[in-house]
Amino acid sequence: MAEYELDCFGEACPIPLVKAEKKLDEMVVGDILIVLIDHSCAMKNVPEWARKQGHNVEIDEVDDGEWEVVIEKMK
Amino acid sequence: MDIRKSKFYKAWFKDAWPYITGAVLLSVFQIVTLAATGNPWGVSGVLANWGAWIVELFGGNVDKWYYFSSEGAQATLANGFLKDAGTMRNLGIIIGALFATLMASQFKIKKLKSKKQLIAAILGGLLMGYGARVGFGCNIGALFSGIASMSLSGWVYAVFLFVGAYVGSKLLIKFFM
Repeated sequence: MAEYELDCFGEACPIPLVKAEKKLDEMVVGDILIVLIDHSCAMKNVPEWARKQGHNVEIDEVDDGEWEVVIEKMK
Repeated sequence: MDIRKSKFYKAWFKDAWPYITGAVLLSVFQIVTLAATGNPWGVSGVLANWGAWIVELFGGNVDKWYYFSSEGAQATLANGFLKDAGTMRNLGIIIGALFATLMASQFKIKKLKSKKQLIAAILGGLLMGYGARVGFGCNIGALFSGIASMSLSGWVYAVFLFVGAYVGSKLLIKFFM
């Protein structure tokens, strides 16, 4: 079970989403991906997409305008 | 009591408002705008006027420019920056957005990630600005206000907006991923 981090600070939609999609493709079931985001609309569309795909998602507001979206790959 | 835990704070300031709330408010306020100023809501045309006022500030003159040659445009420019309803509206958008992000404590000055990002942002801004002028408006003036005024051009704009977004997304993935 590996843990990966994806630094998307300073990146606007839809780049965080496309990057997360690509990264999650390379991972195996049970792996964790932490996406670092400072763009509020990516904080909505990345979790929305991941949940629709059936993954476990948690959002952590780590600082003013900064979020960690933790995705556990489920399939 | 910790205000961050209040459900009213969450609903009003912290969480994004539902799309339907935004849609209803935008519709109501664009009607108010049309009734109060006599012109439909627009954003980017005002920015072109801001550009003209900046040119005048440095001693330039746009009287001979075709874009500003109409009587209406000349009257708006002669009236000045502070007496323009569009100016007030655009300043309101900027101040309102700042207020919203401060209330949600989500204000952050974002760093530039790369030179490529900087070039893309400038290029994108120039293309959007130019496109909005030759297209007789942006997605507010030409699309939103166009459709709200039962104008066919608004719908034509909508179709090509999707075409542009499709091509733009492909380019983005090609050059940015």
